[in-house]
Amino acid sequence: MTLFAQQIVNGLALGGIYALIALGYTMVFGIIELINFAHGDVYTLGTFFSLTILGLLGATGELHGPFLIVAVVVTVVLSMLLSGLVGVIIERLAYRPLRNAPRLAPLITAIGVSFILQNLMIYWHGPSPLPFPQILPNPSFAVGPVQIAAKQAFVIVLAVVLMIVLQLFVTRTKLGSAMRATAQDRDAARLMGIDVNTTIALTFFIGSALAGAAGFVSGAYYGTTWFFNGFAAGLKAFTAAVLGGIGNIAGAMLGGFAIGLVEALTTQLLSDQWSNIVVFGLLVVVLIVRPSGLLGATLSTKA
Amino acid sequence: MRLIPPGSALPIALALVIALAACSSPASAPAGNTIKIGIDLPLSGADAAVGQPIDNGAILAVEEANAAGFDGGKFKLEADSLDDTTQGLHDPAQGAQNVKTLIGDPAVLAMVGPYNSNVAKSEIPLTNDAGLAQISPATTADGLTIGAPAKTLRQSHPDTIAFFRTCTRDSEQGAALAHFAQQLHFKRVFIVDDNETYGLDLADAFAASAATDGLTVLGHEHLASHQQDFKALLTKIAAAKPDVVFFGGVSSTGGALLRRQMPDAGLRSVPFFGGDGIASDEFIKTAGSAANGSYWTIAAPDVNKLPSAQAFVAAYRKRFNAEPIGYSAAAYTAVMVELAAIQKGIGAVGSLPSRATVLANVAATKGFASPIGTVGFDANGDTTAPVLTLQTVTGGKVVTVDVYTVK
Repeated sequence: MTLFAQQIVNGLALGGIYALIALGYTMVFGIIELINFAHGDVYTLGTFFSLTILGLLGATGELHGPFLIVAVVVTVVLSMLLSGLVGVIIERLAYRPLRNAPRLAPLITAIGVSFILQNLMIYWHGPSPLPFPQILPNPSFAVGPVQIAAKQAFVIVLAVVLMIVLQLFVTRTKLGSAMRATAQDRDAARLMGIDVNTTIALTFFIGSALAGAAGFVSGAYYGTTWFFNGFAAGLKAFTAAVLGGIGNIAGAMLGGFAIGLVEALTTQLLSDQWSNIVVFGLLVVVLIVRPSGLLGATLSTKA
Repeated sequence: MRLIPPGSALPIALALVIALAACSSPASAPAGNTIKIGIDLPLSGADAAVGQPIDNGAILAVEEANAAGFDGGKFKLEADSLDDTTQGLHDPAQGAQNVKTLIGDPAVLAMVGPYNSNVAKSEIPLTNDAGLAQISPATTADGLTIGAPAKTLRQSHPDTIAFFRTCTRDSEQGAALAHFAQQLHFKRVFIVDDNETYGLDLADAFAASAATDGLTVLGHEHLASHQQDFKALLTKIAAAKPDVVFFGGVSSTGGALLRRQMPDAGLRSVPFFGGDGIASDEFIKTAGSAANGSYWTIAAPDVNKLPSAQAFVAAYRKRFNAEPIGYSAAAYTAVMVELAAIQKGIGAVGSLPSRATVLANVAATKGFASPIGTVGFDANGDTTAPVLTLQTVTGGKVVTVDVYTVK
């Protein structure tokens, strides 16, 4: 039973990373119905940015006290800003010119952008795995019989906090209303005086910034990264977005945590090699029963 | 996608162009008096840390023979190195593509490689069909040379052996590892493998020998490909309380990350045990301080301790300004064997020998003096002088612990 609870913690931490990435997929799909295949690579870029920022801060090992907090905040914020900026640039250069093109064109372009980003990252840091400084101290604390590592708690809390902030932003602010309006009907939104281009760019910025945050978290949690990291994680996160109901923010979060949990529990109860089979098997079953995903009926960014 | 819109032909065409450009175009150089030794190895990505030094060993042998004047300077020697990496990992399909390229070049009379057993599996049918002598310095899966699996790889010419190796097989490596595990007083072992040709083979061989060497196998798990998170698996392993975790696979398919994440799962002081697949600087770099306390075998001698390898080690350091690994010397030896076979062929006919002649001469290699000792091949193409070296990582450095000679 202890082991079972321990695996739930492991699954939630893994799911937190999936969820942060899934939010970007779901927001972009919600607003322009594009599956942004380059999103996983923006996530990896986030880890690369964090690596550089930590290098500039001179953080090579475990940090303590105020410097730890400063380093984490500075790195997360800068990594989010830079990744967000990359998202905006990608949207401006690769997707906006194709906004009215047949749907296949931006899809192929997205795959192309993914390759471009991967190769830029090879050019930047080489094709081999990179060690990521272990800046977070990792004491574990006991909740009942379960040991929760500080890093795991950090991942889960950050994911939940960012999702709540995002949800509030989308539902309570003017810009959030503009996003929802653009998602509902782009032309009508434009007629109502909403700057559609800026709104879509903002969506890419936020989605990519969340991937940047996930990138930092992944580096700090696993201690390594490499240019191809975003492929598998991106695929799982995309699955999470579809499972939760693509276009739905809470759904992406739910989907991410669900996939993380299913993976961890499958590893414990069956075997590691079965984890992908069970995850994707579950996806098929959910989509047969509820074609629009778990929370597909109550869409929040797209009605 | 309900239907393909009319404007979609261009992106599809573009995607095809990109896909084609990604494959290397077959080169066809004139034969003339240039002899090429083909090389296929993972030269980029996560396997480059071992692929590069192996490539260097082969290139050094070609350069030395060329500088000395091959066949009295009548022939010019070239090394043609191809990379079987796609998307950062060794790729059997790319390996097959590379071998096709090499076969298509008439100047290529023999080849060296690959590093990974699953890549070898996709290449052996091609070299067997073309009758091109192929010597691998590092692939250890049993099914490449012996038994029914090896037969199925030789569809075109079931009775012709074109694939040889200077390293021993995983059944021997697994037995040696189990022997060493017993020597180190390990009792309870948890086995993990990467579910690839080599990793699965080695893990099964180790598991088979472990029982006879008094080890208890607590469990055997297979990893999914491209896996990054091993927390759940390691939690499960930690609950079984092993003395040692055995990994069958290579550094790039999970070995290094698995080791890196062990301390977080409460397995900091539990040693990590594996085959030649994790024996690389990449493993030490990626696993960081967790790499300490890992043990592995390499299916080659420790070149720094072998008297016959000292000239090679000195030449390698001078040429590449780096340290050779065990398989560098093996690749160097593989090229030496092939060049000797080509030289013998030239001696017999007075001109460029055919691939068939070269192949026959390679197959007949017996008692060949080389940096890694006396080399020869048996009827299956396996080395007649198998040797395994046990090494450990201490303070981020590799230290040789023991040598195991296969009886």
